[in-house]
Amino acid sequence: MSEAIETFAPSGILTLGVELELQLISNRDFDLTRAASDLLAGLRNDTEHGEVKLEITESMIEINTRPRSDIAGIREDLAVLRDLLVHHCAQQNVSVSGGGSHPFHHWPERRICPGERFEQLHARYGYLAKQFTVFGQHIHVGCQSGDQAIWLIHALQRYVPHFIALSASSPFQNGTDTTFESSRLSAVSAFPLSGQIPSSVMSWDVFLAYIEMLKDCGVAESIKDLYWDIRPKPEYGTVEIRVCDTPLTIERAVGLAAFAQCLTHYLLRVEPGIDPQLHELVARFNKFQACRYGFDGVLADPYLRTRVSLRDDLMLTLAAFEEDADHLDCGVVIAGLKEAVRRGLNGTHWLREERRKLGGYNDVVHSAATLFAGPSSPTSP
Amino acid sequence: MLTWLRSLWEEQQERLIFLPPFPDQADPLALFSLLLVSGLIIGEALHCWLRLPRIVGYVLSGTLFGPSLFGWITVESLALTRPLADTSLGLLLLEIGRRLDLRWLRRNPALLRTAAIEALLSFTAVYAYSRLLIGLSPAWGGAAAAITMASAPAVVLLPAEETRAQGQVASRTILYTSLNCALSFVVFTVVLGLIHAEHSDDWLNAWVHPLWVSLGSLVVAILTAGLCLLIGGLLPKKSLAQVFVLVAVALLAVGIARMIAVPVFLCLFLMGAAIAFFDRGKILAYTELPQGHWLLAIVLCVITGASLPWRDFTLIAGLQAIGLLVVRAAAKLAGVFYGGGADLERSKRLLVALGIQPLSSTAVFMTMELAALYPEFGRPALALPLFAAALMEFGGPVLCKLAFVKAGETDEERSRHGGIG
Repeated sequence: MSEAIETFAPSGILTLGVELELQLISNRDFDLTRAASDLLAGLRNDTEHGEVKLEITESMIEINTRPRSDIAGIREDLAVLRDLLVHHCAQQNVSVSGGGSHPFHHWPERRICPGERFEQLHARYGYLAKQFTVFGQHIHVGCQSGDQAIWLIHALQRYVPHFIALSASSPFQNGTDTTFESSRLSAVSAFPLSGQIPSSVMSWDVFLAYIEMLKDCGVAESIKDLYWDIRPKPEYGTVEIRVCDTPLTIERAVGLAAFAQCLTHYLLRVEPGIDPQLHELVARFNKFQACRYGFDGVLADPYLRTRVSLRDDLMLTLAAFEEDADHLDCGVVIAGLKEAVRRGLNGTHWLREERRKLGGYNDVVHSAATLFAGPSSPTSP
Repeated sequence: MLTWLRSLWEEQQERLIFLPPFPDQADPLALFSLLLVSGLIIGEALHCWLRLPRIVGYVLSGTLFGPSLFGWITVESLALTRPLADTSLGLLLLEIGRRLDLRWLRRNPALLRTAAIEALLSFTAVYAYSRLLIGLSPAWGGAAAAITMASAPAVVLLPAEETRAQGQVASRTILYTSLNCALSFVVFTVVLGLIHAEHSDDWLNAWVHPLWVSLGSLVVAILTAGLCLLIGGLLPKKSLAQVFVLVAVALLAVGIARMIAVPVFLCLFLMGAAIAFFDRGKILAYTELPQGHWLLAIVLCVITGASLPWRDFTLIAGLQAIGLLVVRAAAKLAGVFYGGGADLERSKRLLVALGIQPLSSTAVFMTMELAALYPEFGRPALALPLFAAALMEFGGPVLCKLAFVKAGETDEERSRHGGIG
């Protein structure tokens, strides 16, 4: 494994890849159901557009796009994979849905998927493995070198709350409104290697030394054990952003990928000065604000020693990289995100509205599954 | 000891005027309660020691203490429990009717094709066996084939609930069971007419009785389903009040079915299917029957066990019943395996075929309905499906649970310890 880590396979800069973890829902009562293995056995993967994979429990399934240079490719891959999955799920009387958490499932009923890695995770983390039945979007952005990846991870760290607010779609857990915009990240934070890259890791060589130390101490076996918000993925030559809830629609997933691409382009173009040690002091607070309040969160700015509205900062960020968005053909998507931020639209907002209209969580999940299966627009949650 | 107790009692009677005469016989209700408790104990014991489904213990208890063996429960006492058995079977059929998911069939038509082929093969094979090897008349051969087309809703639903089985094998086993029950009931009504035609010169009954049974059940089912949805729509979803409405209206349907002499199982199955079909707003879709309904299932299994005519059992009858089960198993296996549903792995299709093998209370009750028409002909003719059902009372739950476990769809923890079963 160490050999693979040492080699950071450079990829095309700003190339994108998206992974979506999705919910498998019983059409009888819209609770999560064990369906992943049966589904995968009857499904012919469309390798031209990516792949469908098992996740840790039988109630989850993952779709991965192929590496794409532009957002149009990501949109096409996700739409094709979504349609493939929806079709096969329908044949097995199962629905597929987005959203960062299932509103009312009972985690002890989850079953770990067959596979050595999943069994190891279950053995190592016990009940946390089943509680990890939460659903995230991971975005890969291509880098030219390991050093550039480490720098980008630190530079992107400031925007973790922005990704959380835009993608938040997990307000409900255990049949209760958690009052959080994104309750999914609480499940992730229980893992010992969650959080963010240490501020002292400032280059690829230092990162390698850090990993070696973890391995020597028996803390981690590979980079896969790091459940960081943003981590390098050397075999792909990417930085992987892992804080997003899986949105309710493909179009918001595309929007988040576009946001990541434009932001990275902007950061590499402007090369703002960063102070990871200073930022580390407020990172957890800022992340909490985004999880708890979404767009209404308030961020601590350690550089100016002040507080700023997350919504305002997000609008400023979106405005700042308009030029980059146009350059990357993401103008329409970013305009849609701006409108969504202005109107406070994310998955959590939509889910709470549905809950208010429909009353019960079963109907909310039914509604979310219907939303995921259909076409969506740039302002969709 | 008993003599001493009796004399003591009678002595006291002179002074204690409220004392009734010394009870020479145990009250049927008390005996029945003991029967239920013994059923639970035997069920738990078999489950703990031999890993058998609890349902086997319930049936065994009924068989042991019923009129055929130890005789705790007399035939007369057993007759008194019929309303309770009707209610239990009715609620189970209501549940299996609610699982008749027509939307799934529309999305995956291969499932309907498979179910139709499986039921048709099963009917044809058992009919041919009954006619050619056993020598039953066309009408009674048809009756035996119609009765054994259906799988056993109680036997399929109980292990699925006991082990919290989830997956394609469990889902398709339940779906095929509801479909073959539906088809079996259709053929059952046709067979009613054939039996009248064979034994009566008056053709009126041959035409009117099937119509009475089918239309009567349908009207009662639609009216009661509509009533359920109407009242249920006024109440919060998944509320206890909705559960109450569902159970209360189901009991109303049982009562009406008994009053107008239409089969309770048919009426309640149609009611469940009608609720599922007309419930566009998912008013009652998430409302589960209470755990009490599984207690009623235990009652049903115990009563069914006690109703089995083991006194009439002979070696020949047993061999004929085994022959029927073999023929039926082969037909169901071929139907499910080659009938379609290729989106499921071959090994899992085999397990679905195993899961739909049970034959039980529904078959026993269908047999009783038909045999009651012309008892002198019906009882000997229907001994074949009745003994097949009797044997399957013990084998069916084991096969069904085996299918769910082998498919890896059960909740191991719950399978070992939990659940009312």
